Amino acid sequence: MPLLDVEDIRVEFGGIVALADLSFSIDEGQICALIGPNGAGKTTLFNCVSRVYEPSSGQITFDGKDVLALPPHRVVRIGIARTFQNLALFPALTVLENVMVGAHAQHESSAVRRRDARQLLERLSLSDLAERRAVGLPYGTLKRIEIARALAARPRLLMLDEPAAGLTHSEVDELGEMIRSVRDEFALTVLLVEHHMAMVMAISDKVVVLDFGSKIAEGLPADIRDNPKVIEAYLGTPVS
Amino acid sequence: MRSRRQLQVLALATAVVVLAFLIVLPHQYGSTNTTRWAQALYIGVAAMGLNLLTGYNGQVSIGHGAFFGLGAYTSALLVNQHGWQFLPTLLVAGPLCFLVGVAVGFPALRVKGLYLALVTLGLAVLFPDLTKHYVHVTGGTNLVAMTGSELAPPAWVPTSVSAIGRDDQWAYYVTLAIAIGLFLAAMFIIRSRFGRALIAVRDHEAAAATVGINTSFVKVSAFAISALYAGLAGSCSVLVDHLANADKVQTFQISIEFLVAVVIGGTATVVGPLVGGWLVVFLQHWISDSLPKHVGSISVLKRTLANPAASPAIFGIILILFVFVLPDGLVGGVRRLVSRIGRGDVNDIQPSTTPLTT
Ligand SMILES: Nc1ncnc2c1ncn2[C@@H]1O[C@H](COP(=O)(O)OP(=O)(O)OP(=O)(O)O)[C@@H](O)[C@H]1O
Ligand SMILES: [Mg+2]
Repeated sequence: MPLLDVEDIRVEFGGIVALADLSFSIDEGQICALIGPNGAGKTTLFNCVSRVYEPSSGQITFDGKDVLALPPHRVVRIGIARTFQNLALFPALTVLENVMVGAHAQHESSAVRRRDARQLLERLSLSDLAERRAVGLPYGTLKRIEIARALAARPRLLMLDEPAAGLTHSEVDELGEMIRSVRDEFALTVLLVEHHMAMVMAISDKVVVLDFGSKIAEGLPADIRDNPKVIEAYLGTPVS
Repeated sequence: MRSRRQLQVLALATAVVVLAFLIVLPHQYGSTNTTRWAQALYIGVAAMGLNLLTGYNGQVSIGHGAFFGLGAYTSALLVNQHGWQFLPTLLVAGPLCFLVGVAVGFPALRVKGLYLALVTLGLAVLFPDLTKHYVHVTGGTNLVAMTGSELAPPAWVPTSVSAIGRDDQWAYYVTLAIAIGLFLAAMFIIRSRFGRALIAVRDHEAAAATVGINTSFVKVSAFAISALYAGLAGSCSVLVDHLANADKVQTFQISIEFLVAVVIGGTATVVGPLVGGWLVVFLQHWISDSLPKHVGSISVLKRTLANPAASPAIFGIILILFVFVLPDGLVGGVRRLVSRIGRGDVNDIQPSTTPLTT
């Protein structure tokens, strides 16, 4: 049984069909990349899973549970955490507190929460920034803090929306490494939205390609790379 | 981290000195001044509550005078009509305001920002009408006036606290005790999981929900807690002023005073609203009573100040200057100054984000 199962999800905004009966699934332990041109509907799918948007039809099942029956704040309790395409940290809180808030749904004392948050910061090489406000730091750092906050929820599924955007070349390589290693270390399944093809090809087990809200291809990274439909969707730019 | 430690020691020392001063204060001052300090305290209490809602949670209310009035009426009517002692009325007024806060907090979930401000303003407008219609002891006015003997301290209170003719001391100490209790409660709330959730919901509601925060619960709770603070402040005002007044002007004006106290004291700081409450009360007093004495014989100024519109106008000008000079309030400003002296840089202490712009 797949861990996450998306079935015939449809989302419309006015006349625009953002997701046109999209179906795909992810098995436990996979890194699944969701790619597609701008406006393809990738973030919209994230927002359906985290219950920000209400699909007009379709079903989302996680570990046998009906995700669409949950209120937004319950989604994390069944094991789904996410980051945002545009940073969504809490700027008035310190980096440490941001990560502590990530563990909001966990039933533990403040002391344990603080200790675990410190460990996570250590793990992601963010310890030096623990007491700083989560604002005005380099973009790549803020994105890493968001990943730390998502990990604090101890999720089974981690959804990352363009974590490599705005990063330098060497940072992108490090990020790819990091995603793989935290997947192994925390026994995660990862749903990754990313435009950075080199990273997608390097770390994913499976790639789902969207265009105008529909799935146009699905398969191993190597197969996707040569798929003519995918190449066309990216307007002829070869997927390197 | 040594400087952080030093700052904590400094803050603790300041707290001890201020507390000692507040405790001996009525023995140094006459009853007029003691009463004025008590007024500053109850305005500060209501402002602390409003700060939890507006400063920390980002929900602007310009109608908390209604909760203040509800607390005041509850205490006044229980004492005046039902012969209660004052203290037990707090046990009714507090929970009642909390519940009404819940009732108002739910519809408030549907509106944000300026619309929320407008809806809460409606509360301040509605409350005086409701009391006028449904509370008949006032004889068609909005006033419940009381005598000192109705509000006299219970027999177990030592006479040193309430010497004959000085029941202002009793009122002061009750208000001080409530202010200290609610101050500690606010500190506790802000440092707790719930406190971080308040801030998270204000800073990014969608992200707050994805980490598992029930944003509706947090917002309604913030409303209820702030209503409780305002209600207890209202109860204290009855003890201090021997009066519950909920006419339109008073309800509206005091709602604004709470907001002013929050902003000039320091939004989203725990002590700020108490300092702000003090500033609101003492600045207005200074402008109307002391300032005219200082201008001496300059007759133009004297005539200008005698105009009844002069005091509010000067108060208004001071407020404008305040916001420009200390955008994050007195406490925020002091905090930045201390960290500049202590560290040589202020980069990691930004002014607290003003929720009014979010
Ligand atoms: N809240 C909304 N209201 C109206 N239209 C929306 C909304 N959210 C998304 N859309 C539209 O839905 C479509 C899909 O948007 P979405 O953000 O999911 O794309 P995306 O694949 O994440 O693109 P990008 O790579 O640029 O992030 C777009 O046409 C977008 O304009
Ligand atoms: Mg997107």
